[in-house]
Amino acid sequence: MYLEVKNMKKSYGKDGSYIQVLKGITTGVEQGEMCVIQGTSGSGKSTFLNCIGGLDTLDSGSISVDGKEIVGLKQEALSDYRRENLGFIFQFYNLVPNLTVRENIQVCEYLAKNPLNMEELLEILGLTEHQNKFPSQLSGGQQQRCAIARALIKNPKLLLLDEPTGALDSKTSRDILILLEKINQKYGTTMLLVTHNNSIKNMVHKVIIIKDGQIHKEYKNETRVPAAELEDL
Amino acid sequence: MQKILRKRVLRDLKENILRYLALGFLIILGMYLVVSIIAAADTIIQGTEELAEEHNREDGEFSVFVPLSKQEEAALREEGIQLEKMFYLDMSLEDGSTLRVYKNRESINLLALDEGRQAENANEAVIEKRYAQEHGLAVGDRIDIVGEEYKITGIGTTPDYEAAFQEFSDSSIDSERFGTAFVTEEAYTALLESGKSDKSEAYYYAYCLNGKMSNEDLRNKIKEFEFSAEEVEDSYFQEYWSETGGQKEKLKNSVNEIADGSEKLSDDLTKLSESNETLHEGMGSIYDMYLTDYAAGVESAAEGAQKLAEGTSELEDKTNELLDKYFDTDISNLTMFLTAEDNPRIGAAGNDQVINKLGGLIAGVIVMILFTYVISVFVIHGIERECSVIGALYALGVKRKDLLRHYLMLPVSVTFIAGILGFLLGISNIGVPVQMQDCFNYFSIPELNIIYAPYLVVYSIIMPPVVAAVVNYFVIRKHLSRTALSLIRNEQKDSKRKNLNLGNMGFVRRFQMRQMLREARTGFTVIFGMFISMLIMMLGLNCYALVTHISEETKADTRFSYMYTYKYPQKTPPEDGEIAFAKTLKREAYGYNLEVTLLGIKEDNPYFDAEVEAGENKVVLSSAAAQKYNLKAGDEIVLKDEEEGRDYAFEVTEVIQYSSGFYAFMNIDSMRALFGETEDYYNVVFSDCELDIDAGRLYATTTRDNVYHSSDVFIDLLQPMIYTMCIVSVLIFCVVMYLMIKVMIDRSAFGISLVKIFGYRTKEIRRLYLNGNFYTVAVGAAICIPLSKWVMDRMYPYLISNVTCGMNLSFEWRMYVGIWVAVIVLYLFINQLLVLRLKKIVPAEVLKNRE
Repeated sequence: MYLEVKNMKKSYGKDGSYIQVLKGITTGVEQGEMCVIQGTSGSGKSTFLNCIGGLDTLDSGSISVDGKEIVGLKQEALSDYRRENLGFIFQFYNLVPNLTVRENIQVCEYLAKNPLNMEELLEILGLTEHQNKFPSQLSGGQQQRCAIARALIKNPKLLLLDEPTGALDSKTSRDILILLEKINQKYGTTMLLVTHNNSIKNMVHKVIIIKDGQIHKEYKNETRVPAAELEDL
Repeated sequence: MQKILRKRVLRDLKENILRYLALGFLIILGMYLVVSIIAAADTIIQGTEELAEEHNREDGEFSVFVPLSKQEEAALREEGIQLEKMFYLDMSLEDGSTLRVYKNRESINLLALDEGRQAENANEAVIEKRYAQEHGLAVGDRIDIVGEEYKITGIGTTPDYEAAFQEFSDSSIDSERFGTAFVTEEAYTALLESGKSDKSEAYYYAYCLNGKMSNEDLRNKIKEFEFSAEEVEDSYFQEYWSETGGQKEKLKNSVNEIADGSEKLSDDLTKLSESNETLHEGMGSIYDMYLTDYAAGVESAAEGAQKLAEGTSELEDKTNELLDKYFDTDISNLTMFLTAEDNPRIGAAGNDQVINKLGGLIAGVIVMILFTYVISVFVIHGIERECSVIGALYALGVKRKDLLRHYLMLPVSVTFIAGILGFLLGISNIGVPVQMQDCFNYFSIPELNIIYAPYLVVYSIIMPPVVAAVVNYFVIRKHLSRTALSLIRNEQKDSKRKNLNLGNMGFVRRFQMRQMLREARTGFTVIFGMFISMLIMMLGLNCYALVTHISEETKADTRFSYMYTYKYPQKTPPEDGEIAFAKTLKREAYGYNLEVTLLGIKEDNPYFDAEVEAGENKVVLSSAAAQKYNLKAGDEIVLKDEEEGRDYAFEVTEVIQYSSGFYAFMNIDSMRALFGETEDYYNVVFSDCELDIDAGRLYATTTRDNVYHSSDVFIDLLQPMIYTMCIVSVLIFCVVMYLMIKVMIDRSAFGISLVKIFGYRTKEIRRLYLNGNFYTVAVGAAICIPLSKWVMDRMYPYLISNVTCGMNLSFEWRMYVGIWVAVIVLYLFINQLLVLRLKKIVPAEVLKNRE
């Protein structure tokens, strides 16, 4: 198992405002798998993702990525973990506003020991002609593609995506999903994708549904639908 | 990664070019002023010291009643002391100025010629530089000195007149009224013989100790020299001597004569007694009875005479003892002994600059902290605006130190570049030479080679980025220390300040309050900037208050038209004059040994309001002295008589308004008794009309016109400095306020665009977002103005510690109100300008912000 989560518990607040968001989640994802995490608002899916990404800490439990335990790591070590293993993509693209597309990607290129080929990546993501544009000159879809490129340039083994299509229209969403599928196939990148969108679960290898901080349902998708054929995006 | 992020720095710089230009301009201005002031100070301090060494500046000087004899001079020289006569004549010129004429110097206090050469012929003269400037004199011109024309062969300075005070007690230099000139021995003798000098020749000597003895030893040695009054040719001196020191000699001689006479009488009567026996034997019994009585009488007379002789001898001894005890000061030839360290004319330019240098160094650091703090506000604004981006970068593995380095780059670069430019401007022709000009316009110092101390490079080029790095490091680090998640979510810290319960306040007030609380940091920066700019303004305004008070009060306080200071007082004072007894003593203040005149006056003196009580330890202090020494009625003041090496402690019975110098008024009779003077002694005469006093009797004549003119000197001299300070202050205030309020608007851009979508008009938005600042500025100014005044009032005595003047820095309440109103007017003007920025924020900002 590439990603292994055991008895993950997480709570916020104290006394009257105490909320237990994750109530002991145990699950795993194989290397190269695309996995969707679904759930209603406040179910704990984003917290689950953030904990795996080392952005949030656990109350208890363990998270192992590629055999390495990340719970209990100090901030510096967590930074190294993210630098070496992870790619993060958010609903809002969080691009550096006064850097061009290429430069935004380069920021992360410098972090990687073996980065992917920039030109190839720009080509795959359809950003070659936009590489010298600033984020404000791009559409939402183009900005998200730039954010994906920035996350991928490090050639991460694990890509965490938090509502990557949440701010996009259905056509652009489809384009992005096709792209992700392509990347998964080409680079073998393990992907953990948090989404509200019900259709996306059809294109991935595994689906985890969280409800009230617990795994409500978890299953492997035997009949995957290619992204290009997804409906109701 | 830094390479890529550096591009961003350049773009940020370009995007906010006006903001950084304004800040950069102020840093350049600040560094220019600081570098030029400090380099000018270093040049003057070191330059004057080096030139003093080169021109063999005296270690001290002394004056005597009677010139030292050749043997006395030789005795000092044998001890290794270098000695040179500095005799001078004060000559009044037609334009009302006084030219102090010296012979060409030979070994001590040598002339430093700016141009030309020394006087070589009887009709040539070298004129002191400042006097020449004020009178438009140049080499080759001719100058009329009491009817005799002299060709000016050189313009120069001497190290003993760096501050060309006519009298040591003068508080300001007035080169329009006084200067020095140097002529050949022949020309000097001719002037002396012409008898046209204002007063008798002054017998001053300059000395260099050459490490052979201390100043104290030399003074004691000179005091040991016997005084030969007969050698003095000055008739006024002889008259004075016959009435004072000469009386001692007369008394001594008379007692000696009595003693001699008594001894003679004793001897003769003893002889008569011895002869009496022979006479007794040779006479008949007839006369027995009569002669026995006669012989007994003679014997008794002889014994009496013997006793008289013994008594007279004792009288002689006791009289001599008493004379030595009480007439000691009167018979000392030494009239003044002044070390170079205590001489206000020597090293004055350098001393003046020490304060400028210190002030400049401190001001530079404070201004840098302010500007870097202002920059840090921009950076923080940038970080807050980009917090989700930063969070995303953290999530991707970018480390805090990488971003910290990146965010430090801009403030460090801006301050570094501005520092370099400020440094270059400071050392350029519009820097140091301009700063030195004030000094050259006041002190008499030669042209100096500018000294650029290496620490200035460190101070102006290295210090600004270091301060920027340190200030920003601490401010930025805190903001970058948040977790990636907190940054991505743009979580706002829960603070009591922001959640303050505002009760039932109306909506607009409530909104304004919330905005002010949200922008507390920016508001603090506005107030900090206001305080720094107020400090700078107070530096200038205190200077203005000081010089105008000196001028106005001195004019109001000077009731006499003439003040005559005697060298040889007349037996009968002039009819229309009010006599006084002046003695110069010293007291230290802030490291400087300043002169205080102890003035003995009559109770009904019409020229001073002092009610002088009888008593040898009671004085009334002038307000100038009281302010400088921070004394009030009931305090004790200890004044030092350096001549006698004695300290006098007085009780201050009252402080009276008198700004024209440091005076301690005393009952003249008590003062005479204290200093062992006769009951009718005086040495100063005040008058409201010109008196007919022979110039040869006087040390100095001070007219009301002189006093008025001297009191105005500082106003003209310091005006450029006052204007500079006020302009710099206003610039700092405006730039800081403009930039900070603009940051407030930028930070609120999302909210502003949102309320625009709701339908708010610009006027209403201005009321919500900008008008709250009015209270910050109004209250801030109400605190900063008196606070900066209070701080500057406490700093000021150190800044002018070497100046002999009062310390009346008081403002009228109108001045405070005026400054406050000016602050508000500037704020309203800036506020108006920022409405333009408000108008530029479009509703689409909401969308942009989300993207």
